[in-house]
Amino acid sequence: MAAITFEHISKRFGSVNANSDVSFSVNKGEILALLGENGSGKTTLMNMLSGIYYPDEGRILVDDKPVSIRGPREAYALGIGMVHQHFKLVDVFTAAENLVVGLEPDKKLDRKEIAADIKEICDKYKFDVNPDKKVYDMSVSEKQTLEIVKVLYRGANILILDEPTAVLTPQETERLFNVLRNMKQDGKTVIIITHKLHEVLSISDRVAILRKGEYIETVETAEATEEKLTELMVGKKVDLEIERPEIEDKKLRLEVRNLSCINNEGIKILKDISFDLYGGEILGIAGISGNGQKELLEAIAGLNLIEEGGSVKYHQPDTEDPVELKGMTPRRIRDLGVQLSFVPEDRLGMGLVGSMGMTENMMLKDYNSGRGIFTSKKAPKELAEKIMEELEVVTPGVTTPVRRLSGGNVQKVLVGREIAASPTVLMTAYAVRGLDINTSYTIYHLLNEQKKKGVAVIYVGEDLDVLLALCDRILVLCGGQANGILDGRTADKQEVGRRMSVIVGKEGEGHE
Amino acid sequence: MNEPILRVIKRESMSFKGKLLVRAVSLILALLVCGIVITLITGYNPITVYVTMAQGAFGTKTRAWSTIKEMLMLSCIAIGLAPAFKMKFWNVGAEGQILIGGIVSAGCMIYLSNIGNAGLFVLMCILSALAGSLWAFLPALFKAKFNTNETLFTLMMNYVAIQLTSYFVAKWENPVGSNTVGVINQSGHEGWFPKIFGTQYFISLIMVIILAVFMHIYLRYTKHGYEIAVVGESENTARYAGISVPKVVIRTVLLSGAICGVAGFMAVAGASHTISTSTAGGRGFTAIIVAWLAKFDSATMLLISLLLAFLNSGSSEIASKCHLNDYASKIVIGIILFFILGSEFFINYKLVRGKKGEKK
Amino acid sequence: MKKRILALVMAATLGIMAVGCGTKEPAGKTGETESVQRESVSDKKIGMILVGDENEGYTYAHIEGMRIAEVQNGLNDSNIIWKYSVPEDESCKEAAVDLVEQGCVAIFSNSYGHQTFMEEAAAEYPDVQFVSMTGDRAEISGLSNFSNAFTNVYESRFVSGVVAGMKVKELVDQGKLADENMDGNKVKIGYVGAYPYAEVVSGYTAFFLGIQFIYPDVTMEVRYTNSWFDITAEAEAANALMADGCVIIGQHADSTGAPTAVQDALSKGKPVYSVGYNVDMLSVAPEAALTSATNVWSVYYNEAVKTVLEGGKIPTNWSKGYADGAVAITALGPSVAEGTQAKVDEVINALKSGSIKVFDTSRFTVDGKHLDSYFVDMNGNFSNGDPEDKEAIWDGYFHESELRSAPSFDIRIDGITELTAE
Repeated sequence: MAAITFEHISKRFGSVNANSDVSFSVNKGEILALLGENGSGKTTLMNMLSGIYYPDEGRILVDDKPVSIRGPREAYALGIGMVHQHFKLVDVFTAAENLVVGLEPDKKLDRKEIAADIKEICDKYKFDVNPDKKVYDMSVSEKQTLEIVKVLYRGANILILDEPTAVLTPQETERLFNVLRNMKQDGKTVIIITHKLHEVLSISDRVAILRKGEYIETVETAEATEEKLTELMVGKKVDLEIERPEIEDKKLRLEVRNLSCINNEGIKILKDISFDLYGGEILGIAGISGNGQKELLEAIAGLNLIEEGGSVKYHQPDTEDPVELKGMTPRRIRDLGVQLSFVPEDRLGMGLVGSMGMTENMMLKDYNSGRGIFTSKKAPKELAEKIMEELEVVTPGVTTPVRRLSGGNVQKVLVGREIAASPTVLMTAYAVRGLDINTSYTIYHLLNEQKKKGVAVIYVGEDLDVLLALCDRILVLCGGQANGILDGRTADKQEVGRRMSVIVGKEGEGHE
Repeated sequence: MNEPILRVIKRESMSFKGKLLVRAVSLILALLVCGIVITLITGYNPITVYVTMAQGAFGTKTRAWSTIKEMLMLSCIAIGLAPAFKMKFWNVGAEGQILIGGIVSAGCMIYLSNIGNAGLFVLMCILSALAGSLWAFLPALFKAKFNTNETLFTLMMNYVAIQLTSYFVAKWENPVGSNTVGVINQSGHEGWFPKIFGTQYFISLIMVIILAVFMHIYLRYTKHGYEIAVVGESENTARYAGISVPKVVIRTVLLSGAICGVAGFMAVAGASHTISTSTAGGRGFTAIIVAWLAKFDSATMLLISLLLAFLNSGSSEIASKCHLNDYASKIVIGIILFFILGSEFFINYKLVRGKKGEKK
Repeated sequence: MKKRILALVMAATLGIMAVGCGTKEPAGKTGETESVQRESVSDKKIGMILVGDENEGYTYAHIEGMRIAEVQNGLNDSNIIWKYSVPEDESCKEAAVDLVEQGCVAIFSNSYGHQTFMEEAAAEYPDVQFVSMTGDRAEISGLSNFSNAFTNVYESRFVSGVVAGMKVKELVDQGKLADENMDGNKVKIGYVGAYPYAEVVSGYTAFFLGIQFIYPDVTMEVRYTNSWFDITAEAEAANALMADGCVIIGQHADSTGAPTAVQDALSKGKPVYSVGYNVDMLSVAPEAALTSATNVWSVYYNEAVKTVLEGGKIPTNWSKGYADGAVAITALGPSVAEGTQAKVDEVINALKSGSIKVFDTSRFTVDGKHLDSYFVDMNGNFSNGDPEDKEAIWDGYFHESELRSAPSFDIRIDGITELTAE
């Protein structure tokens, strides 16, 4: 029996077809993986199921009855609940308060009753939630658990999870999957949105595949392989191998010693970090999101000037004397002739100006270099056209505001500009987040090209499989501390995951 | 099944022609609705009312220049506000900056009337600009250094400026007991803008055109303009690009205040030849609408100022000719503005009807 | 451009609703239909520059005045061109020039703040007559086509003082006053003034002398608000005066702030009454309001329009009072003392006949002495001894509004204390 049936669902945003003529069913009591690349319309489809969007065409059937879902409340009434990728929790509320917020106003806030309900749900599915804990005190994993409990508390029989493992360590992912299996046992229907193939294979009963807004097919997980799923997802055969060339002649580029940093809120976000970075290597940085990755890169780039101590020494390729970068602004660093390129996590909020076209974005770092009071757009325009051509950026033109481009094209513009500056150090934060497989592989390739040129590359990533395949060494951050540097060729995924959540003894780390 | 009847959908983008069409349609609709309203309240023929408005704004040379004067004041202030607002610095303190510029100009006219008109003109212009800058500098400094809220700060500076104006009005009161400054230098016209082509507003016109061209070039083609755009988009991006945000904020707001100060100079030396707490007359706020509607484009700011000035002069004439209550004619302005602002919505969004032909 | 425009963007929908209601009551003025049909005796045009519109009491009085003059002189709507809500800046000059270009032969402005701009226009257009109501520069401007006009409002203030005096006498006779209401043997009177200018000083002195005409043992405290219209400040000033024990609150400020505050106090049992200005205050202070002193502008407009139609010159300074019906007091409130109406009629007749002079020098002292000479400052520079300054006292009284139409009595007499409301 079908819990959910989509019939000819279409949804357009402007000229973009987010979903076109999608029809398939979800069976009662199964775990269905909704697989597709970024931008394939998975989240849009699920948002229509949970009442956030309304389909342009087609209809949705719940328990074989056509329904009209015009808001999350109506979705809940039908037993449908969604855990979004970006949590919708009130930071200053406790877990219990978050559960009841937005419920019918006549429902009384009886803390004891809520606590009892929470306990019942937790016992049933083997969760662990403290009802009185404030959300701002919770880890990412705890927040996600709370989101799931919230959905269950509101009576959902059909759970939708949007990329739930993106923020979890391998251990946490395994725990989540156990919970999902318990739910399935209990007769709940689970839809899990993901693009990680091995997870699909380990958790789901069936896999529904979307590509460019269209439904491709649903396959039994038991009969699927990674290669087959990838082919269905991308539309052609893809080589999933990431190359990792070995460079012989490595030169010291950056010497980071005892770097500590406090953020704007006055919280010590980096604690005593030390490592070396060599030209001709990719140093991966692993860690749960928010454990200091962003701050570490920003501190090196001169953006986070609230440093407490330590030093960042830069070794020029030609000269002997290292340059101290600590406490310098980005412009100062550039003026010293240090070719430091940085692809920040927030592409449109930091790396690029969304309202400007490619040309003007090319000028961002060196608009000030020419003489006179006027900006020169000739060179940037040529560069923009070159990047557009070489990296196959899909855009109506170099003057189109970059915020109108898709995520992958935005990233190509940003990475293209940073590489065009002929860096000696290239730092990237979540360089492939949100990109489709092809673009991701383009980025890996670009980074390897830089590495071969002798550039020192830092790659902050969240997909451990990629980190382990791409990087020469992996620095694990945990709570703002360096929790060991592992060799990328020999490191074990479980070990990296463990170091992401637990500080290991001093003997475990070292600066080779 | 209950379907939503209308849904709002964001448009990808709209062609220039499309935008023009939406705006033209909205203007026609505005005129139609106004026509219906006018006929309902007064029984007057709406065409007559519109003709009266046009006559009121441009019917004679005096009226045309009066309308242009209003347009110039609004444009000048809007041009001043544009760089600050483009930088997302919410300078709602134009009123105060105008008043301070006006006080300085009036002071120069009163105390320095003997230094010769050319010198006085230049001096007043420079000092008013400096005074406006100073008035904007305080909020900018606090914003840059302590990240205080500039909206509240600039707004409060308006009240300080109004009190200062009251003080100087009392100090320069003429005749004593009138609570007004009266017309300054009525006999010798020292410091007044000279009449060119029969009007003293000609100089203002030239000044505003120069400012408009300057601002257009400044925002579009200079490094400063680029920095303003980046800071306005995202301070993080600015820091990433190595732009010193506090420096850009202070520099831009100084410029913004200076132009608003010059607007005060234009109002005092170029039009009223007196100073009072109503010298700014709310234009500092109206100009915010102008700047935003024009998306900081100089030429568009001039056009929108002209429209507002036209509506204002026109509505006064309706009040006079058709014996409509002053507020009734302001309602006409309200309706027209409502539609114009509304057209921006339809340029960015469209409405679609619920699904059709669906089987139950 | 007013900031109202900004508000209107938001209020547009509200406005449409308001318009919907407005259909019941046409926005046209009273008597519009008959005046449209009436034939006009002249094609001369007269311009009116108004600081407000009919929704504002002061301007409304002027509109009414001119409308009566229009009817009485056989004119119709086509003869009068109205400019509403004209700010007190160069807009006034522009309005005046526009009226000239529309063919007006006489232009009136109703606010003091318009004066300098009217004077400028007068200098540019010598063939058109310009009148700045309540202004004071016509005499010294040297322009033959520029005039001022006011009423002898001090006369109606004196009469309103008589009404108050009757009430004070009644309160004393009935023994209703407590110690706090007395300063020695004198009853405390309060006055809310706008600015410390001659117009206000002249007004409160006339009011004070009117009270003393009935009940001499009074003392008066004046509090300034430094605004012509500020409901809150006026109410606060009245409250301060009442807290001090004043039993009558007079006012020279345009709002209903003071009468409302007095009504509140009276309702709470304080023996205190209000005398207003310009408008009947009975609607906001049904028990506390005794009366209000007012101007009857139609008398002036009637004369001025007549002069214009006959091709004559409007007098440079015009100020008339009870003798010509140019001032009045509003209907007496229910709380006035017995016999007030008779006394009021008697005093008005005496003022008309000239047997009572308001500023009779025998009835007030300055520093304990009676005045026999006072030069009025004519050019507003306050430096005494200018050749323009003129002697105002002869025949035993101060000749208010005779040397120029605007009030010029700015003498602080004994028995009155000025305080500034803070």
